[in-house]
Amino acid sequence: MKAGDSVDNKYFHSVVLQEDRCIGCTSCLKVCPTEAIRLRDGKARIIGEKCIDCGECIRICPNHAKNAVTDKLTVLQNFKYKIAIPSLVLYGQFANKVGVNAMLTALKEIGFDEVYEATIGTEIITKVIQEKILKEDKIERPLINSSCPAILRLIQIRFPDLLPNVVDIETPIEITARIAKRDAALRTGFDISDIGVIFITPCTARVTSIRNPLGIEQSYIDAAISMKEIYGHIIRNLNAGVEENITLSTRESMEWSIIGGQSKAIGVEKYIAVDGINEVIKVLEEIETGRLEGLEFFEGMACVGGCIGGPLTIENPYIAKAKLQSIARDLPCKETSEEQIKQYIKMYEEGLISLTEPIEPRAIMKLDKDISVSMKKMEMIEEILKHLPGLDCGVCGAPTCRAFSEDIVKGENQKSICIVKTMETFKKKKN
Amino acid sequence: MSLIQYHFNVEKDDFDRAGEASSNIKKILRQLGIDAAIIRKVAISTYEAEINVVIHSLGGVISLEIDTSSIKITAKDRGPGIANIELAMQAGYSTASDKVREMGFGAGMGLPNMEKCADKFEVESVVGIGTTITMHMYI
Repeated sequence: MKAGDSVDNKYFHSVVLQEDRCIGCTSCLKVCPTEAIRLRDGKARIIGEKCIDCGECIRICPNHAKNAVTDKLTVLQNFKYKIAIPSLVLYGQFANKVGVNAMLTALKEIGFDEVYEATIGTEIITKVIQEKILKEDKIERPLINSSCPAILRLIQIRFPDLLPNVVDIETPIEITARIAKRDAALRTGFDISDIGVIFITPCTARVTSIRNPLGIEQSYIDAAISMKEIYGHIIRNLNAGVEENITLSTRESMEWSIIGGQSKAIGVEKYIAVDGINEVIKVLEEIETGRLEGLEFFEGMACVGGCIGGPLTIENPYIAKAKLQSIARDLPCKETSEEQIKQYIKMYEEGLISLTEPIEPRAIMKLDKDISVSMKKMEMIEEILKHLPGLDCGVCGAPTCRAFSEDIVKGENQKSICIVKTMETFKKKKN
Repeated sequence: MSLIQYHFNVEKDDFDRAGEASSNIKKILRQLGIDAAIIRKVAISTYEAEINVVIHSLGGVISLEIDTSSIKITAKDRGPGIANIELAMQAGYSTASDKVREMGFGAGMGLPNMEKCADKFEVESVVGIGTTITMHMYI
């Protein structure tokens, strides 16, 4: 079974393979940060329990065989009242002369009753971290942002001992979805179940998080439409209708999706902001070995540039960054009243916007439940490894020679052979 | 009783590869299913030991031995040795050069941090010959 085929949300993945397009080239094997891909029968296979939906394979695939499962526009028919929450990344996807209100009006005209910006979510998170979490020592330092779902899943798998450092607050989109839904129910009188919140996503991992959330019981987001897919519709609607005054964006929220934007908004002094999943892994290693003492906040984003580098975006992340910064320059800085801050902290304390469910480690690296069995398996892995060439060529279908011998010991590979080793043996015999 | 052993060579002044031994040890322990909190302690103390070998010695070996009840880390180096172990164990005491300190090492917290992380901690040193640090963590 391919990942993503599953009906059970627990094993749902946004990232899937389009088999007919895969030529078995091994490009994706190499870039997967959790070694979650194997080639079997000449096609890439995603190991569901290891995949963190970071989208690196979608980006690298030269044949566009890796794709993301997102909702189609027809999902709007399921709801009586439809709210669009566009990712903050959207503002950086258009030509310079297109104003924010023009973009949002064009989005609304696709068939939404309302467009709600994630600005409120960014403001709440900023203030709660600033005025509450940083002033207490409930969460271990350095604090690690919870806003990147791929990084959260990476920590679960590769850095489980850093889970106590993760800020226990929801993401801007989730918080905004809750507020938008509640507001709409009050205003329109519709039942909550008739109101659909649809996220316009640049991110594959977020799509997975909606179906199979981490840290909360259930997401308030009802569907996610890929930014790539809805982009054409927005472009066609630009300047079609009367421009509405929708935006409430602030300078901080506009820069939130650029790496470092969160740290800057929070105003924390000792922070490190890292983008790109491989660099994030390196710095998390440093944190794990205790090298970054005194660090207060770690902002890690899986995509290069931050969310603006998401696999479902249109614009190049560096160009998008320049555009967002240019829009941000003309926007006001956010002033939050004492009263509002108090209200936000109350929402956090009451569990309305905090992570209420524990984020458990995912011990998928483990060889066996029993340590003495694990130790035996480890010995076998080392023994097999001695006979392998160590080229990590990927032809056997595993990303490295080590992964190949692990697969054999775990019984997950009965078929593939090491072609390099076979050739060597063949040559020796011939001589 | 089953026992696994690994040995990692650590070169003098090889800052480029410093941390590789501790990183490998961490991966091994994770695959064995050792508790995350213990892995972290091992990672921190092994990293400190490894950096010590890089900075202060002429090179050495970091060894990992695991049985079903404990993890043993040994850092054995050839080098100047430690003249006064008691002094070296004091927080903030360091003999690292300015160059090394500029790189962010040599804060004099190495040995005290190792001792803090380990369940059992021993330093043996002979001046002019070398130092052996042994740490046990119970699992």
